[in-house]
Amino acid sequence: MLIFAASDKGGTGRSVTSANLAYHRAMAGDDVCYLDFDFGSPTAAAVFDVADARQQTEDRGLHAYLIGEVSEPARIDVWSETEHQVLRFPPPGSGRLVLMPGDVSGGEFAISGDNLRRCVDLLTTLYYEFDLVVVDLSAGRSYAVDMVLEATAQAEMREITARWLVFHRWTRQHVAAAASLVFGKRGILAGGADRGHDEEALRNSIRFVRAAVPDPESPLWSQVSPTQSAWMRKTDGDLKQLASTHGIGYSQVLGSVPLEPVLQWREQLITDEDVLDSQIANQETWQALSQLAGRLTDDKYWEQV
Amino acid sequence: MTAALGQPARSVLACGEVRTCLLPSFQAFDARAAAQLLRLRADEPVRISERPSMYALSPEILTGVDCRLPASNGSKVRSVGTVAARAALTEGRLLQATAYFSLPAAGPDIRRPWGQYLVRPGLVEPFGKLPQQATVEGMLRGARRGELDLGMIAEGLLAALRRHALLDRRVPFKSSPTRLRWVARRGDQQASLVNFTVAEGGLRTMELRLPEHIPAAAAAGLCEDLALHDWLLTTVQHMLDNSRLGTADGPSVVEALHPVVVHLLHLWMPRAHVDPALGHLWDVLEEKPGFSRQWENLSRRIRDRLALQAVAMPHQALSTS
Repeated sequence: MLIFAASDKGGTGRSVTSANLAYHRAMAGDDVCYLDFDFGSPTAAAVFDVADARQQTEDRGLHAYLIGEVSEPARIDVWSETEHQVLRFPPPGSGRLVLMPGDVSGGEFAISGDNLRRCVDLLTTLYYEFDLVVVDLSAGRSYAVDMVLEATAQAEMREITARWLVFHRWTRQHVAAAASLVFGKRGILAGGADRGHDEEALRNSIRFVRAAVPDPESPLWSQVSPTQSAWMRKTDGDLKQLASTHGIGYSQVLGSVPLEPVLQWREQLITDEDVLDSQIANQETWQALSQLAGRLTDDKYWEQV
Repeated sequence: MTAALGQPARSVLACGEVRTCLLPSFQAFDARAAAQLLRLRADEPVRISERPSMYALSPEILTGVDCRLPASNGSKVRSVGTVAARAALTEGRLLQATAYFSLPAAGPDIRRPWGQYLVRPGLVEPFGKLPQQATVEGMLRGARRGELDLGMIAEGLLAALRRHALLDRRVPFKSSPTRLRWVARRGDQQASLVNFTVAEGGLRTMELRLPEHIPAAAAAGLCEDLALHDWLLTTVQHMLDNSRLGTADGPSVVEALHPVVVHLLHLWMPRAHVDPALGHLWDVLEEKPGFSRQWENLSRRIRDRLALQAVAMPHQALSTS
């Protein structure tokens, strides 16, 4: 299955959350490939802690592959290349976790002819190889988004299951922006329909993920004054109302990831050690990620709504 | 030193790369579909043999090259000629693409008209003297940017085949492709296998020695056979290692092992389509690490797991009836 991770704005936790989902699935035994299509500002290498391996593959990333400079994009085996102490020892029976890095210098390029064919070839061969392929797309209606919309509209990819996750933060601006990225005049749905996608089918393959959602009941806010607390509850309720009027209400949401201090400070994978041993990360975050990872392939959450 | 024009140059090295993957089709191809898939040229037929297993081999296509040879010592040797590429389909299930060429010890210092290269299909000539050892190491290491890249040619052929209209593009199970890079030195009386290594990321490398009378195509055939069996071992082992299977019980085991039984177990048939002059090279690998031994062990494990499930079945059937 292909999972496209999109967001309207930067800083929505798209990269870090989708990387964590890839990590959870790999630990559960799936072979997972993570593609960094965030051209220009690739972050995946930092999240997976593979900076050294990244250096060695400097000019052989996805961007160089798509424009035809190299015949195959570089692959980094996360379990063996990572400098992260916990990731180096995945539980026995884990699937493979492979990162295909982007290029630091990668700019934009034409979505046509050979570039498009290479993108289709890459996505189809990875689909044959991996249980789950996570594609992290740069923010907004970017070239990366257009590229995969065009690629998945090709006849060769019609049999392939592709699902979209749209990440947004839990604020008024972000809710409205996420809705417009999907339903807007120049949104994913309109763009997909222009390229030959069945609009209804595409709509059904898109779900929203609320990231960094503050829970008014969380112990984090136990010190706030009663007025503040009441305001938070009210705002949270208003946001739910707003999301619903924008068409991204409860039934369209695959899951929420609570506000996690660790992720506010540093883009990283949350390991069970962070939760259980050092306890720097919250149990709720781990559970939310694990639940979300499971729902990616659970058809119950992708039925027509 | 300049090779005389028109004289077929004696080759000192043959190099190739094989890519092996599962045919992206839900059902295995029959001979007719295989012939259609592998018809890379209109003027030459696809060779099909049905005994002892169904094997289809495409005609060869040529790719003209004019670029540097990979060399481990950084020497920049320009080379011009043609690389041969072909594809094979075994039991309608495993698809392979090979790109290979031969190299003479030395070539002319100037580029000749294309016609002269075209009459020597699969031969690439260096400008001047060929640094043999560095080229062997460079080929096994793989091409850098701007160097002659056999992987790119093989992968290009594979990609074109995967786009064929006959394919439904549904795979019965997920699997990783493998690549085998090989280099054969010419000159010995008897063919021998110098080494076979398994590297990370599905890469294998192999060094051979070949007598002069054995064509490079025969060596390519041997390497395809080894690559195919290595792919089988790698793929089935990976499926058995998976945690879902390790701890599973009941129908999920049957579900997980089903594709192996239906699509893979019957594919093991070493040397079935290898040139008889090279068949003995298999013995080396049978001795150590013991390819067939490992395969027998794997298939026994699979059958035992399934047998255990079958033992439990009648009890369940009785208790629910």
